[in-house]
Amino acid sequence: MKNLTLVVMLLCYSFASSSGDSTIHTNNWAVLVCTSRFWFNYRHMANTLSLYRTVKRLGIPDERIILMLADDMACNSRNQYPAQVFNNENHQINLYGDNVEVDYRGYEVTVENFLRVLTGRHENAVPRSKRLLSDEGSHILLYMTGHGGDEFLKFQDAEELQSHDLADAVKQMKEKRRFKELLIMVDTCQAATLFNQLQSPGVLAIGSSLKGENSYSHHLDSDIGVSVVDRFTYYTLAFFERLNIYDNASLNSLFRSYDPRQLMSTAYYRTDLYQPHLSEVPVTNFFGSVMETIHTDSAYHAFSSRISNSKIKSDTPFNQPFNQLSEQDVKEDLQNTNNQNDELKTEKQKCPYSEMRADLHEKLKKIENVDTMVNLSIAVMILVVMVSSSLL
Amino acid sequence: MTKDDGEMVEEQKKKPCRFWIWALSSVLFRLILISYAGNLNLSSRPEVSTPLTSIRRLAEGYWLKQASMSPYAGSMYHGSPLLLSLLGPLTVQRLVAETSSNDLKLCFNLVEFKKEDTLDVSGSKGNQVTSFADILSAILLRGIGKKLQMAYGLNARLLGLLKSPRDKGILPCGDIAALVYLWNPFTIVCCVGLSTSPIENLAVILALNGAVTRRVPLAAFGLVMATHLSLYPAILTIPVIFLLGYGLDAPPLKLFLQTRNVESGNRSSTSSASKQAKSKPTAQLPFLWKTVVHFVFWALVWSLCVMVLCRLSLSKHGGLEEMFKRTYGFILSIEDLSPNIGVFWYFFAEVFDFFRNFFLIVFHVNILFMLLPLAIRLKHRPCFLAFIYLAISSLLKSYPSVGDSALYLSLWALFVNELADMKFSFFLFCGYLGVSLLSPVMHNLWIWRGTGNANFYFGNAIGYACFQIVFVVESVSAMLNHDRALKKCNPNHQKVKN
Repeated sequence: MKNLTLVVMLLCYSFASSSGDSTIHTNNWAVLVCTSRFWFNYRHMANTLSLYRTVKRLGIPDERIILMLADDMACNSRNQYPAQVFNNENHQINLYGDNVEVDYRGYEVTVENFLRVLTGRHENAVPRSKRLLSDEGSHILLYMTGHGGDEFLKFQDAEELQSHDLADAVKQMKEKRRFKELLIMVDTCQAATLFNQLQSPGVLAIGSSLKGENSYSHHLDSDIGVSVVDRFTYYTLAFFERLNIYDNASLNSLFRSYDPRQLMSTAYYRTDLYQPHLSEVPVTNFFGSVMETIHTDSAYHAFSSRISNSKIKSDTPFNQPFNQLSEQDVKEDLQNTNNQNDELKTEKQKCPYSEMRADLHEKLKKIENVDTMVNLSIAVMILVVMVSSSLL
Repeated sequence: MTKDDGEMVEEQKKKPCRFWIWALSSVLFRLILISYAGNLNLSSRPEVSTPLTSIRRLAEGYWLKQASMSPYAGSMYHGSPLLLSLLGPLTVQRLVAETSSNDLKLCFNLVEFKKEDTLDVSGSKGNQVTSFADILSAILLRGIGKKLQMAYGLNARLLGLLKSPRDKGILPCGDIAALVYLWNPFTIVCCVGLSTSPIENLAVILALNGAVTRRVPLAAFGLVMATHLSLYPAILTIPVIFLLGYGLDAPPLKLFLQTRNVESGNRSSTSSASKQAKSKPTAQLPFLWKTVVHFVFWALVWSLCVMVLCRLSLSKHGGLEEMFKRTYGFILSIEDLSPNIGVFWYFFAEVFDFFRNFFLIVFHVNILFMLLPLAIRLKHRPCFLAFIYLAISSLLKSYPSVGDSALYLSLWALFVNELADMKFSFFLFCGYLGVSLLSPVMHNLWIWRGTGNANFYFGNAIGYACFQIVFVVESVSAMLNHDRALKKCNPNHQKVKN
């Protein structure tokens, strides 16, 4: 009976599952990389910081964001607005606010560190905040911006990351089960070539331009003196600023919002490695962090029954496999206890004394207000003491 | 003679009035302390509140119970579930009623609450319970004392030492013991600091009163409740059985056998020792098995009731096994090593795990080893035996507090007639005073200022233990000297009479 339910469970799950493997989506991570330095690459840092702000606003906490920046804009001597970074000439949002946590800054943003972050192979002394501690249920957003070209990405004017390096790293990640789904977003010139070599399943990639096309900056801020944002990121932000944490806009609507005429390049995305339909995947699966909570009454499991107290509330339609799993779990438990109860009952029916005890047990369980009964009994006891001590 | 009798009757009438004046003034003093001395923080001092007696832990256990979790979850509360249902509702905060007012008033209330830094226990009700427990204990002590005094007088007359049992030289030990209990700074501190030790003391005194006045159900009830609340009064079964079987405290049987030739009165006495001396020439006291069996029966009845009630309260949270593990198991295994005025916390903080069980057994058997020799030596004085047992258990228990000392000091006062010649009494008095004054100082130096360390506080605790040991040893030797002095008096007295 138990085996049959397991098989049925698995079948149901495999039909309803949204990705190839049967893991549950546990958490969301974001790796945001700005690969440029120097003042004239202000816009790249503004790009990354804008994404950082969006991703934080939609729910991913700092401990699950790895931010890699050259970080030489805000306190640059050329910055008219010290300690402030803007992504728009209206200067409405200061991206370099109070709670920006940069994990890799300055000369730490290297290809080696980037690959170490992705694959998780660090020296022993690297602190946890600099590690990508994802597990097999994580959704990871990887955003890279800077200067790039045909199948490469320039890192801080000194090195380059090639497309097969990236593909190798992703392959290692898949092998080590470090992600469930990965969204790679690249905003550089000829960005789509960077993910030519990817082969791992569960990866969705979008680049801001095709091979042979450049990605352009959006506008120049005459106050600061440099361009403050790139077009691709600008339109991405325009999409996200309208959202809050509860919206369920799909990835499809995000990808369709890119207009080649406005971007002055073609935003190309590849979905051949990604199974779910883009119209069914909410953007908060990657860009935010919406956790499903299951309400249970008891906090300490040791002495309370899970069956009677646990209630499952599911509102979002997207996490059906998870719901089905837990419902099946509860049904299984109920069946088990029913079986046990049946067995116990058949044993107890032999002895009338234990029948009485079982009845008493049930009655005891039904009594709700135990406290007043106990108090009354104590009072009765004291009365009996006084009466008996005065009589005897 | 009639004039003397009249005077004595008047004096006796005055004495109860004086007693009640002193008793009520002690209650008044407690009320004054409660209302005006809010900064003493008595309920958070380790001398007053131990993991077993703390009212905060009771409040926490009650809250857990209300949140439908086991009250023993999280290792906060380690007491009886019955106490939880009785005292729990008294610990609920009253701010609920005040939140319905407008925001300013709420702010005000919150500000006031923060300023006072008091317990979120509504003090007045809890204090009423502990004050009531104190008064009741005092009245019961007075009852015990009256009986003991009467017995002392009668025995003295039977031995030919005094002319009348109501001699003026006999001090009213009942009144003295009750007033010592009420005015003892330790008791006052426990009452104001809202620990549950007044209730435990009440149960013990109830047991002793029942045994002394021969009310068997009361004695059984008191003993069962005392054992249920804290484990150690279980050792009082021995003195209680002696009290019920052999009767009240009396000089050894041999003295009565020696004086039976001198005495020829027909007056009845409450001490079966003297009866025995008149009727049979044997040197064995009769043991009233019927009363003892009666007592055992009632004890079983009360234990069954208590077990059933506890099972009822804890039916959803693990039942009796959980209760025993968390109350008695906690007491015996000394899990909590926060400092108190005992000596075990320091030791168990540094003992290796390999030896932990061994030392636990050693320390608990330390109490058990003393029971048998003392019972053999002092079986003619069961009430005094009870006092000694209580003193030893409060010295060697896992989580002692000043409430235990309050109890045995007042029981000591029941024997002022016999212990009048106790040596070192002034030294002990100064010792107790010094230790109790230094203890909060050392605690402050260690915990709050950081200029001292654990050794300061532990040194104080060791000093306290030493004083208690000297106290116990001196009381026992004073009592035995008293018996020896009676023995010496008798042949001389005989010779004089002859």
